[in-house]
Amino acid sequence: MDRRSAVKGLLIFAGGVAVLPSCVLEEGKASIPLEHLDVSAQQEELLAEVVETILPATDTPGARDMGLHLFTLTMLDDCYSREDQQTFMSGMAAFAELTKEQTGKRFTKCSPEQRQQVMAGVNAGQAPQEVLTFYNILKGETIKGYLNSELVMTTLRVYELVPGRYEAYYPVTAEAQIS
Amino acid sequence: MANLNIDSVKARTYDAIVIGSGISGGWAAKELTEKGLKTLVLERGRDVKHNRDYPTTNKMPYEFEHRGEVPLEIREKEPVVSRCYAFREDAMHFFVKDSEHPYVQEKPFDWIRGYQVGGKSLLWARQTQRWSELDFEGPARDGFVVDWPIRYKDLAPWYSYVEKFAGISGNRDGLAELPDGDFLPPYPLNSVEDYFRQQLKSHYGNRHVISARCAHLSKPNQIHFDQGRAQCQNRTLCQRGCPFGGYFSSNSSTLPWAERTGNLTLRPFSVVESVIYDDKAGKATGVRVVDANTKEVTEYYAKIIFVNASALHTNHILLNSISSRFPNGLGNDSGLLGKYVAFHNYRARVTAEYDGLLEYATAGRNPSDGGYIPRFRNLHKQETDFLRGYAAGFGARRYQVEDRSGFGVDLKEQLLNPTWSNWKVGSHMMGETIPKEESQVSLDKDQKDAWGMPLLRINIGYDDNDEKMVADYLEQMTEMFTKAGFTNIKTVDSKQAPGLDIHEMGGVRMGHDPKTSLLNKYNQLHACKNVFVTDGACMTSTSTQNPSLTYMALTARAVDHAVSEMKKGNL
Repeated sequence: MDRRSAVKGLLIFAGGVAVLPSCVLEEGKASIPLEHLDVSAQQEELLAEVVETILPATDTPGARDMGLHLFTLTMLDDCYSREDQQTFMSGMAAFAELTKEQTGKRFTKCSPEQRQQVMAGVNAGQAPQEVLTFYNILKGETIKGYLNSELVMTTLRVYELVPGRYEAYYPVTAEAQIS
Repeated sequence: MANLNIDSVKARTYDAIVIGSGISGGWAAKELTEKGLKTLVLERGRDVKHNRDYPTTNKMPYEFEHRGEVPLEIREKEPVVSRCYAFREDAMHFFVKDSEHPYVQEKPFDWIRGYQVGGKSLLWARQTQRWSELDFEGPARDGFVVDWPIRYKDLAPWYSYVEKFAGISGNRDGLAELPDGDFLPPYPLNSVEDYFRQQLKSHYGNRHVISARCAHLSKPNQIHFDQGRAQCQNRTLCQRGCPFGGYFSSNSSTLPWAERTGNLTLRPFSVVESVIYDDKAGKATGVRVVDANTKEVTEYYAKIIFVNASALHTNHILLNSISSRFPNGLGNDSGLLGKYVAFHNYRARVTAEYDGLLEYATAGRNPSDGGYIPRFRNLHKQETDFLRGYAAGFGARRYQVEDRSGFGVDLKEQLLNPTWSNWKVGSHMMGETIPKEESQVSLDKDQKDAWGMPLLRINIGYDDNDEKMVADYLEQMTEMFTKAGFTNIKTVDSKQAPGLDIHEMGGVRMGHDPKTSLLNKYNQLHACKNVFVTDGACMTSTSTQNPSLTYMALTARAVDHAVSEMKKGNL
C-alpha cells in the first residue's frame, strides 16, 4: 500500500486535476500526490509561473489557474519513462540556473518582461539540451491539457458529441474552426 | 439425498448450452431462445449490461485523468494488450490483462481478448463484408488446405438474415468479389476518397474504392427500434459501449433479444474447462464449469452445445475435453484439432498527402472509417508469385491544426484559431494468410492457469507468401498513390506479430471429410454431432474480409440446422 494509493481516497477533483486537502500534504512538497517524482512546493511554484508564461491569462483563464502545471506533473509521473522524468527534473534545475544567469533572479521573482526574455530564448531553442527537453515536455503537455480542458472544449473550441453528423463534402470557408 | 441429486441435475439441465457470449455466442443465444430452447449461456468474465455497465461512455475527454493515454506502469506490465490500438484509457476495462491470463508464445503472438458478457463485440472495428463465391472456392481452385464444404449460395440467405437484424450500412456496389447485402444507407465517401475511387477506375478499371460497410445504424428500421437501439450519432467512441446501441454488439442487440424470450439463462464468471462426452450415449452431454471466483466445479447438461469461446479458446476447450473415446480432444479423430490456424496479415500501411480539392474538408465523424478496397489480386486466375491477395482500407482526412511554435498570448491565439491541414491519406492492408499445419495451438503439459486449465501454447507465424504479399501491397499502393498525384508517400511494414490483427481463425476447420477436417458443412463435429462450432475456430481459410459477419451468418444457419435435427430426433 503506497502513499499514493492511500491518499487517492482523499482526492478532490478541481478543474480536472487531483488536488489534496491541505491536511494530508507533506510540508514543502507538491500539492498533488506523485509516485515517482519528488517535487518541492517551490518547484511547483516555478512550473506554475512557466506555464502561465506559455499560456497567460487574457480575457480567458491562463495555464496557472487551469492547473496545467499540475496536469503536466501527473502525466510525467504516470506516463513517462524514468529517464524522461530524470531529464525533466534536471532540466528544470538547469532552467532555473539559466534564468539566474540571465536576470540575476529566480524566475518567480522576475518581472513579466524578464520572463518573456528568458522564455523567448528557450522557446527559440537557445538553451542547453536538457533545458530544451524539460521545456518541450512542459509546453507539449500544457498545450494538450489546454486543448483537452473543459473550458476550451465547452466554450472556446466546442467538442461536438451528440447529435453527431458526418458531412463528407464540407465546403471550406475562412472559418476553419468547426466542432 | 438421492432425490436432491436428481433435482439438482434437473436444475442444471437445459435444452442448449452456448459457451461464450461474444459476437457468435450472442447470435447462437438469440437463435436458440427464439426457437423455444431453454438456453444456458456461459461467459467466463463479468456481466456487462447494455448502458448500465458502460462506465466511460458519456465521459468528456477532460474527464480522463491522462486524457486517454495508458499509464506507463500498465503498458510495462501488460505489453501485449498495450499494442492494441483500442487499448486506451477509455476502454481498458474491456480488455484482458496479459498478466492475469498467461499463455505460451512459441512464436510471438499478440493474443487480444475480452472476457466479459459481449466479449470483443463491444470492442470490434465493426467492418462487415460478405464473403463471395471466389473466397469459398479459393482453397479448391488454388490447391491449399481443403475444400470448403459450403459455397456462397449456402450462406447468402443467412447473410441477409443477420444483416437485417444487426443493421449494416453499405452501398450496393455490384461487385462479384464483394456481394451486396441488405443494407442501411451508406456513409458517403468524402471528396478525396471519391477522387481516388475515380482515379483507380480510370487507371486500372478493376480496382474499386467503396464506402466501407459497417455494423452501424445509419438509418434504423423498426426491427432495430424493437431491440431498443437508435440511430448512430457518429460519436465514434464505440469501444466504450454505445448508449444508443448505434453499432451492433451482443450487449445491445442479440442478448437482450434472447432475454426477452424468457428462455435465456446467462451465467457470467463461468470458466468452461471441458465439454463432457458420454461414451455410452455416443454424444456430448454437457460442460464442466469452474467458477471464476470460487473455483467451484459444476456440471451443466444439455442436448446441444455450441462452442463459441473465441477462435483460440474454442480450440483450447476442445483440446482439453478428453474422454476414452477422444483421448486427444473432442472430435479429434483426424489429429488436426488445433492445427491450420491462420490470421490476417495487417503488417503494412502507406500514408501520403494531397494538395488538391482544398475547397472541401469534412465535418463531424465517419463511423465507417472511410473507404474499402476489395481484393484485386489473383481474383479470377493466378497472376502473381504469391497465392491469394489482400483488401485494403483507404481513408482521407484534413485536420484542424494549430501553429504551436510560439508562446504567450500569440500561442493562445493560435490554439483557439486552427487552420485546415492539407489532405492526409492512408491505407492499411488486410491480407489473406494460408493456413498451414505447423501453425497450431496445443496444451502445455505442465503449466496451468488459476482455474486449472493447461496453458495454451501458440505457435503461429508468417511465411514466404505473407512476405511477398506485404511487398506487393506496398508496391501497388505506392503506384496507385503516385498515379493519383499524392505526394510524400511513406510505406511502413510494422512487422507486428500475428494476433494483433484480432482475426485469428481455424484449428477446428470445416470440411467434407472427417479424415481432413473437424466440422461438417453445418458446423457439427463430424464425430460428435451435437457439438457445434461457429466462431473463428471453424474457418477453413481466411480470405480478406473482416470475418465477424460470416461468423454471425454461419451461427444462425447452424442453429437452424441443429433445431430441425433435434426435432427429427437426430441429436
